[in-house]
Amino acid sequence: MNRRGLFQSLMGLQSTNLTDVPTTQTVKSVADMSEKTSPLTRHEATHLLRRVTFGPTPELVNQITGKTPREAVELLLGPDDVTPSTTPGPWIDNPNENPEGIGSAELKNQIEGLMQSNYRSLVNWWLEQMRIEGSTASEKLTLFWSGHFTSEFTFDEYFMPPQLLYRQNLLIRKDRLLNFKALVEDITLDPAMLFYLGGVQNNKGKPNENYARELMELYTCGIGFYTEGDVKEAARVLTGWRANGFLYEPYPNGYFKTYFFPQAHDVEAKQFMGETIPSRTTDSNNESQVREQEVRVLINILFDKRANAIARFISRKMYNFFVYSNGAEVDENALTEMSNTFVSNNFLIRPLLVKLFTSNHFYSTEVMGVQIKTPAEFLIGMQRSIGTALSNTIATMVQLNQELMDPPDVSGWPGYRTWISTATYPTRRNVAESYFRGLSDTVLNQFIRKFPDYTNVRTLAKDLISYFLPVAVSTTREEFYTQELLGNTLDFDYEWPTILNDPVRTARGVRNMLVSMSKAPDFQLC
Amino acid sequence: MNRRSFLQKSAIATAAAPTIIGGMPLLASSPSSALGSNFMNNDNIVIIIQLFGGNDGLNTIVPAEDDNYYNLRPGISVVKDTAVRILGSDVFLHPALVENVHNGGMLNLLEQGNLAVIENVGYENPNLSHFRSTDIWLSGINSSNPDVRLDTGWVGRYFERNLTNFPLVIPEDPLAIQIGGSLSMLLKSQSGDMGITLRDPDSFFQKGAGLTPDEDYFDPATNNYQEEFNFIRTIAKQSDVYSQKVKAAFDKGTNVVNYSQGFAQQLRLISRLISGGLKSKVYMCFMGGFDTHVQQQQSDNLGFHPSLLNNLSNGICQFMDDAIQQGFGEKVVGLTISEFGRRPFENGSRGTDHGAASVQFVFGRNVNAAVYGNPPDLENFTNNGDIVYQNDYRRVYVDILESWFEETPETIEQILGAKVNRLGTIKKRVTSVPELIEPVNGTPFDLYPNPSRGNSVCSFLLKHPTNVSLTIYDTRGVAVKKIYNGHLNSGFHTIPLTVANSGSFVAVLEANGYHYTSNFSVTR
Repeated sequence: MNRRGLFQSLMGLQSTNLTDVPTTQTVKSVADMSEKTSPLTRHEATHLLRRVTFGPTPELVNQITGKTPREAVELLLGPDDVTPSTTPGPWIDNPNENPEGIGSAELKNQIEGLMQSNYRSLVNWWLEQMRIEGSTASEKLTLFWSGHFTSEFTFDEYFMPPQLLYRQNLLIRKDRLLNFKALVEDITLDPAMLFYLGGVQNNKGKPNENYARELMELYTCGIGFYTEGDVKEAARVLTGWRANGFLYEPYPNGYFKTYFFPQAHDVEAKQFMGETIPSRTTDSNNESQVREQEVRVLINILFDKRANAIARFISRKMYNFFVYSNGAEVDENALTEMSNTFVSNNFLIRPLLVKLFTSNHFYSTEVMGVQIKTPAEFLIGMQRSIGTALSNTIATMVQLNQELMDPPDVSGWPGYRTWISTATYPTRRNVAESYFRGLSDTVLNQFIRKFPDYTNVRTLAKDLISYFLPVAVSTTREEFYTQELLGNTLDFDYEWPTILNDPVRTARGVRNMLVSMSKAPDFQLC
Repeated sequence: MNRRSFLQKSAIATAAAPTIIGGMPLLASSPSSALGSNFMNNDNIVIIIQLFGGNDGLNTIVPAEDDNYYNLRPGISVVKDTAVRILGSDVFLHPALVENVHNGGMLNLLEQGNLAVIENVGYENPNLSHFRSTDIWLSGINSSNPDVRLDTGWVGRYFERNLTNFPLVIPEDPLAIQIGGSLSMLLKSQSGDMGITLRDPDSFFQKGAGLTPDEDYFDPATNNYQEEFNFIRTIAKQSDVYSQKVKAAFDKGTNVVNYSQGFAQQLRLISRLISGGLKSKVYMCFMGGFDTHVQQQQSDNLGFHPSLLNNLSNGICQFMDDAIQQGFGEKVVGLTISEFGRRPFENGSRGTDHGAASVQFVFGRNVNAAVYGNPPDLENFTNNGDIVYQNDYRRVYVDILESWFEETPETIEQILGAKVNRLGTIKKRVTSVPELIEPVNGTPFDLYPNPSRGNSVCSFLLKHPTNVSLTIYDTRGVAVKKIYNGHLNSGFHTIPLTVANSGSFVAVLEANGYHYTSNFSVTR
């Protein structure tokens, strides 16, 4: 896009579009959204795994190669209900005292230290779920929603109770493929969210607008589809909700549960997006009626009035997450078809994902290899690729700017090229090199034997390239990598069977090739 | 076949000798034609401090003589006796900016002539989203229309204009350094990232060495995959080269002042790099936590927001002391930016929600120390109940581009996509060009009649032939009309000007880099 064009397009653009018809930007269609019905090649299967899971394993590539996209996607999305087999630890059910009000500095530090160590155990638990996940893609989707409906462990001067973050993670996990509108309703009254965006301090008379604004701006329809008046009125609707997060604090519905505090709820009528939410009497000012008649109604109005804007906003975010994170290069045709699918399925998430992952567009060469790996994709993907664990992934995630359940701000991680900088790239290179260098001879010998034609050095090189790098490389590079497998002696392919009989020589060749590939710019892409 | 054959033509070859153009050496195998002629014509440096979350202007520069302030904020106001009056004015600093701050805090900084305070900074049609409004501030483009993508920064575009061959040719020193985080939009351009992020020079040095990849650029890139590949390759090359440069400056540099913990440490690192001779033009640092929806301040002027102000003031005052003692105070100018201010009235959580206009600081030995603008009008708000802005947020950007980076008015207009009037917060360091306007009856240019009914005449005496421009701005600094721009011979000139609407305006005559300003009003 040239700059002059940008400035010309900026002249005099100040209007606020308050209809439900999103503006269509420059159309740049690269492939159609019709269903791809031909079986997946090995490279296409690997591409699907790179995008939908945290990265391919040789077993998964073998398993879905030759399936149709629809068969493969059904397998990867799995059943609606997946429950992790472990929990982060017994602390998840034990409330701590709120460090805020504690006079003794020693005790305060002690509790804050406990909250921090519980948070770390929560993140480690999730990273492990990602690493060991089998054939379903639920962890990647859970991460998608966790980056969408953000909650931060540390925000302003507070710590969020990790028990609440754990419960929010389970909520997102449960709803990840179901109905988006139901997910929005769940998250609106989710204890962690109530803590995070000031819901628990949202009182009649002087409402706190924090959540009301983000509900529309970041979580559903996006900027341009609501007025400042809508923000103020939605904040009034949402007054009066509280949640328990700590010991010795009220828990009428149990520990770590939301409850209603009628004295703080604004019972007067509200006007939201042109609809009236009527006033109520003291008798009807209770938890179930306010939830049914105000919170749910607010979300119903939002989804009725702004269905297209919401569908497009979420589709765009999905497209950025799964296809190409460069916001300027979203395929408009894909976006329109995704949005239509989302609306016509009444905001069910599964059909939207099936539509995207089975489309010809998704497998077109134009979108292959364009995605910059997120820190989770990079670190978890590397561990899954070989099957051995990396120590202290959590610390490296911090260095790479992706602290799970603690994004930089309420809009989540900015993504795309912000992941790679002079501060993070050297760490990526160092971690990858030491991971591949540290692989044992045994592991490497077992690893290559998972590739069908490993006895042919040319085929093995091609398969390893396709497995680790998203787009075919030049013949020069391919030759270079092949020579590394062969030990950089002389280019006699027929040496390979002899080398295979020597686990030390085999491992050395494979290790050198993996290290070389990890140094290439395209190792950061998927 | 060996690795050598992968080395490519345009990488930073280790043996390449730096080319030095206009004070900024470049590493290049390509000729110097890659550079604009006036690029980096001085060693001036800018520090940009982003206060993310929306800094509460009313509790930073306190309107302590306005009863409305106390009515709007019964729970979180600064009591008048405790606010710190700027001598001879009705402007008060929050005590956290002064008390328990290094070297007398911002009051002393102002009295020493090293601080400018700008009231009611904002823009037309304020956007109350953190993210859109941050984008508006960082891009320097005021568009609330969400369909207009804002993805490059005004600093990034300034650099980009002067580096046509980037990234095949990169400067020897990083153009800009951001402390921590992911690279800000401020430093992004269509050609790529115009700055680097830096956390720890030692670790950068160790990890960055030798990272330039063997694989060549796609030149030119013909699809998105190749664009991303090239982007990463550039970061790799920058990591390799700049890790060594930064470390050398870090080791050579020093600090002569003790800095506070937290935010001030970012400025400490910047000071040390400048002291060590790094030639970066722009440094950016970041402070979060200003989204004070809840519990922002207690009745004793302490609390969350005051401690942020205290950290900010300490950092700036320690940095300035350090810079002046080390002798580089003259070449550094700093400014604060924040996406918006807060609502004038407090909410029910002892906090404030998102608002509009707020205050801005500019600091350095070469600022024109003053308070710019009036205290906020707490009776007449915008339709949404927010403070009305008085100064367009891009006016300080114009001061930097014009007085500090010595860019031409035409270039500045192209960078910002709009013509915006300077505010005059920054002095030019060296003025070698002569003044070409000869005052007549003690005034450089005359505007008659004033007030007018829309038509008046501007007259002035030009000593030598030169290019002259005459522009009409509104009082907030945004251009209303360009009257004249062209070459004039020496002698007495009259230029007629017509303004279609009633109101107050500012006429600015520019000749040979000097600006002459006249306020006038029109009643039609």
